[in-house]
Amino acid sequence: MSFIEVDDLKKSFIVRKKREKGKLFREKQTVEALKGVSFEVEKGDLVGYIGPNGAGKSTTVKILSGILTPDGGEASVGGRVPWQDRKEYVKHIGVVFGQRSQLWWDVPIIDSYSLLKDIYKISKSDYESRLKELSEALQLEELMRTPLRLLSLGQRMRAELCGSLLHRPELLFLDEPTIGLDAVSKLALRDFLKWENREYGTTIMLTTHDMEDIAALCSRVMVLGHGKKLFDGKLPDLLEKFDTIRTVSVKYETDDPVLDMPESVKTGRNGDEIVITYSPKEFPTPELLKALQNAGKIREMTLQPENIDHLIASMYKEMDL
Amino acid sequence: MRAYLVVFRMRLLMELQYRGAMIGGILCQMFFGLVLTALYRALYAGHPQSVPIEHVVSYVWLQQAFFRMLLATDPDLLDKIRSGNIAYDMCRPVNMYWFYYARIAAQKLMGSLMRGVPMLMVAALLPKGWGLTLPDSPLGLLAAILSLVPGFFCMCALENVTMGFTMRTLDPRGIQSMLNLLMMTFSGNILPLTLFPDSWQRVITLLPYAQLLDAPIRLYTGEYAVTEAFHIIPVQALWAGLLIMLGTGIWKANRKRMIVQGG
Ligand SMILES: Nc1ncnc2c1ncn2[C@@H]1O[C@H](COP(=O)(O)OP(=O)(O)OP(=O)(O)O)[C@@H](O)[C@H]1O
Ligand SMILES: [Mg+2]
Repeated sequence: MSFIEVDDLKKSFIVRKKREKGKLFREKQTVEALKGVSFEVEKGDLVGYIGPNGAGKSTTVKILSGILTPDGGEASVGGRVPWQDRKEYVKHIGVVFGQRSQLWWDVPIIDSYSLLKDIYKISKSDYESRLKELSEALQLEELMRTPLRLLSLGQRMRAELCGSLLHRPELLFLDEPTIGLDAVSKLALRDFLKWENREYGTTIMLTTHDMEDIAALCSRVMVLGHGKKLFDGKLPDLLEKFDTIRTVSVKYETDDPVLDMPESVKTGRNGDEIVITYSPKEFPTPELLKALQNAGKIREMTLQPENIDHLIASMYKEMDL
Repeated sequence: MRAYLVVFRMRLLMELQYRGAMIGGILCQMFFGLVLTALYRALYAGHPQSVPIEHVVSYVWLQQAFFRMLLATDPDLLDKIRSGNIAYDMCRPVNMYWFYYARIAAQKLMGSLMRGVPMLMVAALLPKGWGLTLPDSPLGLLAAILSLVPGFFCMCALENVTMGFTMRTLDPRGIQSMLNLLMMTFSGNILPLTLFPDSWQRVITLLPYAQLLDAPIRLYTGEYAVTEAFHIIPVQALWAGLLIMLGTGIWKANRKRMIVQGG
C-alpha cells in the first residue's frame, strides 16, 4: 500500500452568480473543481503537482490536508482518511499555503512558534533542537524577535516554512511556496526542501507555477487540468512529449550573414545576435547546424536551455486547457 | 488544554497593543453614558419611579463600561473566514470551536477591562445622581462578580454562534445586524431591563441576553437580593451550556460543507 492513495476524488463548488436583470433569484452554477482524480505517492517522494490556473490543485491540497470534505472518491494518507478524525490526522502533516500566513501578524515570529509548540504538544527539548536546526537551515536566527509584519516576502516565506515543519510532519504540502521570491531566495528554498527530504525522508507534494522548481526538485510530476489528471511521470518524459520549440542564439564574424532556412524556422535579431527558434520535429537539429555553418563563420553560439514555460504553455494548449 | 490557554494569552497581549482604539472606545462610551444619564434624569424629574434614579444611572454606567463584552467582533477572525486563512487553523490538531472560543474570550475580556476600569473610575467620581454608586453591599459585589463569569461564557458562546453562521454565509453582516439588534434590546444596553413593565421582565430576564450583564448589574445595585444569586447563576450556567452546545453543533455541521475561499 502506498503512503498516499487517492482514488477518483471529486469535489464541486456551488457558485452563485450575480442576479441578472428581470430574474427573481440568483442563478446557481456548479463548478466541478475535481472530476475524479487518482494517484499514488510513495513515502519519501518529492512530487510536483502542476496545471494551469483553476485546474484544481489547491482544492486537492485542501482535501488532502483535511480542510475540505470531497463529494466523492477515497483517499488515505499513511492509512488515515484526511477528512475523518481531522484532529488526529493533521498532527502528521504540514502545510504551506504560499499566499496565506499562519504566523501572527503583530508578534515576534518566535512567539508564534512557541504557540505552535503547544498546539502540536512538542516536547521542550525536541522543540529547541528542531527550531535551532530549522532556523539555521532557513537563516532565521536574526529574525526571531521581529514581528511578522516587518519581514520581507522572502523572509516571511522562510518563516512560514519553519512553522510548518516544527512538528516534524511526515508529509508536507506546499501550495505555491516560491510565489514572489527572488532568485536567491528561490534557490535557497529549493536547497532547503531537498535537504529536509533527504535528511528526514519527508514526503513532499509541491504545487507551483515555476517550472524551475519542478525541474530542480521533483523526480515525478503530475499535470492537472480542468479537474482531471493529464500526465503522471518523470519531467523529462513530459518535456520530450511536448518538446516542440527550441531556441539557438548565434553570433557571426561577418556582419550580415545570409541564412537559408525553411519557413518553419523563425529568425530574429537581438543586438548582434541572431536568435533562431525551431522545432526539431520539423527541421532536425543536424540540418539546422549545417545551415548555420553555411551562412558564414560562427563566432559564438549558445543553445538556450529548453524554455520550460514555453513548453508547458504549448502543452496546456495541446491538451486544450 | 495548554494550546487554548496559550492562544488566549497571546490574544490578550495583542489586544493590549490597541491603545488608540481603547481611548476612542472610552470616549465614545463615556459620551453614551452621559447622554443616557441625562435622558433618564430628565424623564425622572418630578416623576419618581419604583426604581431609584441612582440604580438606573449605575446600571447605565456598568452597561457602558462592559459594552465591549457584548458587542465586539474580533476583526481577525472575520478576516480569516472571509479570506480563507482559516485554512491554517483547520489543519491544526485542535478543536476549532474552543480554539476560537479562547480567542473570542481573550478579546472580550481584555477589550472590556481596558475600557471598563478607567471608565468606572471616572464614573464613580461624578456627582451623586450622575455617577456610579457603590455596590449595595460587599456580598452584592461578590455575587455580581461571580455571576459575571457565567454571563461572560454566554457572551463568548453567542459570539461563536455568529462565527459559525459566518462560516456558512461568508458575510457576517446579515446575521450580525439581526443578532446585534436582539442583543442591544434584550441585554438592557439601550433601555435598562429594570424599566420594562414587570410582566415583560418575567420573560425577558429568562432570555440568554439578560444573563450577560443585566443579572450581574442587578446584583450589584441590590435590585436582586444576594440570595437570588442562587437562582440566577444556575440559569446563567444553563444558558452558557445550551449556547455552547448550539455553537459546537453548528461548527461540527460546518465541517462537512466548509467553504475555504482563495488559493
Ligand atoms: N470556495 C470556492 N467556491 C467556489 N469555487 C471555488 C472555490 N474554491 C475553488 N473554486 C473553483 O474550483 C476550481 C479549482 O480551484 P483551485 O483553487 O483548486 O485551482 P488551482 O489549481 O489551485 O489554481 P491556481 O493555480 O490559480 O491556484 C476553480 O475553477 C475555482 O474557481
Ligand atoms: Mg492554487
